[in-house]
Amino acid sequence: MSLLELKNVSYTYGAGTPFEITAIKNINLTIEKGSFVGIIGHTGSGKSTLVQHFNALLKPTEGQVLLNGEDINRSKHSAHEARFKVGLCFQYPEYQLFETTVYKDIAFGPTNMGLSEEEIKARVLEAAEFVGLTDELLNKSPFELSGGEKRRAAIAGIIAMRPEVLVLDEPTAGLDPSGRKKILSMICEYREKTDSTVIIVSHSMEDVAAIADKIIVMNKGQVYKFADVHEIFAHSGELASLGLEVPPVTNIFLKLKEMGLDIRTDIYTKDQAEKELLRYLQKEGIAW
Amino acid sequence: MVRDITIGQYFPGNSVLHNADPRLKLVLSFVSIVFVFVCNNFYSLALVLAFTVVAVLSSRISLKVILKGLRPMLLLLIFTSALQLFYNKQGTELFVSRFITITTGGIFTTIFMVVRIICLVLLSSLLTYTTSPTQLTDGIERLLSPLKVFGLKNGVHTLAMMMTIALRFIPTLIDEIDKITNAQKARGANFETGGIVQRAKALLPIFIPLLVNSFRHAFELSLAMSARCYNGGEGRTRMKQLKLAARDYVLMAAEFIFVGGVIALNIIFESVI
Repeated sequence: MSLLELKNVSYTYGAGTPFEITAIKNINLTIEKGSFVGIIGHTGSGKSTLVQHFNALLKPTEGQVLLNGEDINRSKHSAHEARFKVGLCFQYPEYQLFETTVYKDIAFGPTNMGLSEEEIKARVLEAAEFVGLTDELLNKSPFELSGGEKRRAAIAGIIAMRPEVLVLDEPTAGLDPSGRKKILSMICEYREKTDSTVIIVSHSMEDVAAIADKIIVMNKGQVYKFADVHEIFAHSGELASLGLEVPPVTNIFLKLKEMGLDIRTDIYTKDQAEKELLRYLQKEGIAW
Repeated sequence: MVRDITIGQYFPGNSVLHNADPRLKLVLSFVSIVFVFVCNNFYSLALVLAFTVVAVLSSRISLKVILKGLRPMLLLLIFTSALQLFYNKQGTELFVSRFITITTGGIFTTIFMVVRIICLVLLSSLLTYTTSPTQLTDGIERLLSPLKVFGLKNGVHTLAMMMTIALRFIPTLIDEIDKITNAQKARGANFETGGIVQRAKALLPIFIPLLVNSFRHAFELSLAMSARCYNGGEGRTRMKQLKLAARDYVLMAAEFIFVGGVIALNIIFESVI
């Protein structure tokens, strides 16, 4: 069932003035309920503009955004509601923390929803558990936390709204490999437990390819491709030519192919790489 | 709205104004702005306007940018014009009704004020549009260097550096306000409804992160500066020594003509405000 649908969406910054810049044009997308979608694209390809349409932060210059079949921009009220149904977590969300305690900060979203005190508490504790923040941390000031903890607290602030769709813009930006892993596995776990729809924006294919089922490739403000992960990687050479950073392992296979080996290039995980290498070596009679 | 503020930004280019000596530019913009307020009749006002237009054109900065910089002033202009127009009671009455009286004095003051504000904004923005922050500090520091006599040895340099950094961070902070606002909106923050107290409270989620981030920027910047062995102005030499060139004397001459023109026109014609 389609949950989020974009119909011919275009967005122009500064429309009607001499400073017009069209950030995205003619976007048609359908995001199914329960799917895990990755959005990748070069800097300036319109990724961030696109995701701000999902929760009505930006109103399309042309076209419609439908959530559960209804236009989210039909009224001020519906646009406000969309913010809670589509939880959008911006890049570097740790710089938006402001409350006196982590608990209160996570409760900011649910409080704006007008929920009861008990309901807020239940949601905050649940969200904190998802991101692995202990009760002790909840009573600290958000400014006392470490960088990784702050990031997780900020994500919890979105999860606490129990959105139908969780949208994360570059959730791993600026983190070290272990921090990255932690966040990504946390997102996977969240999705398994809640069955919610997750959209993750990244310029790093490696992160996205490992966890998403479908990928949207953005290029110059348009959807270049929207398909299953394996289908996207069937054309891994094209992705590299768009200036996208393909996973290192894919790069190796692209290079091998370039060197004249008869080898597949739709490889994006270690397991696939191992299998394909073995297959190749066996075929050539080098290994068996 | 905040996005439109371009004052304080620098637009690299290769015009007469870009290449001029920053000290001279600082002095000339100051003098020009003073004379924007000295003019007191329509002839000298026209000269001020013409001078500003020529200055803007000679910067070769696109008119789009210039107009964009003026846009935030629109509300202020409309508001103050309305006040002057309806409440200034000087001069002959042109239109009288129970609530408003429009007089020649009101109309004249309004015209003067609008032109003056526009010229003021344009001339002061031109300075930063055409001068890189480094040049600007250099210019300020050199101009204030006589103060060193009064025992403000390092103070002049520090002051100049602080001013430059403050200017440099205006666009960064504007960008940040935008991002934080969007992030809080995404969590359902509402800045558009409620009473004054409620609205002021609603701004806290923006101001606190903004303040915290400013401190972060300050710490990061100071760290980066000390990593490059910055230790204040003492003993600091310059790669580019400032020296007045022929084109600077041309600019100076143009300024003298402008200043002389305004004074002459003020004397020849009667003051209207």
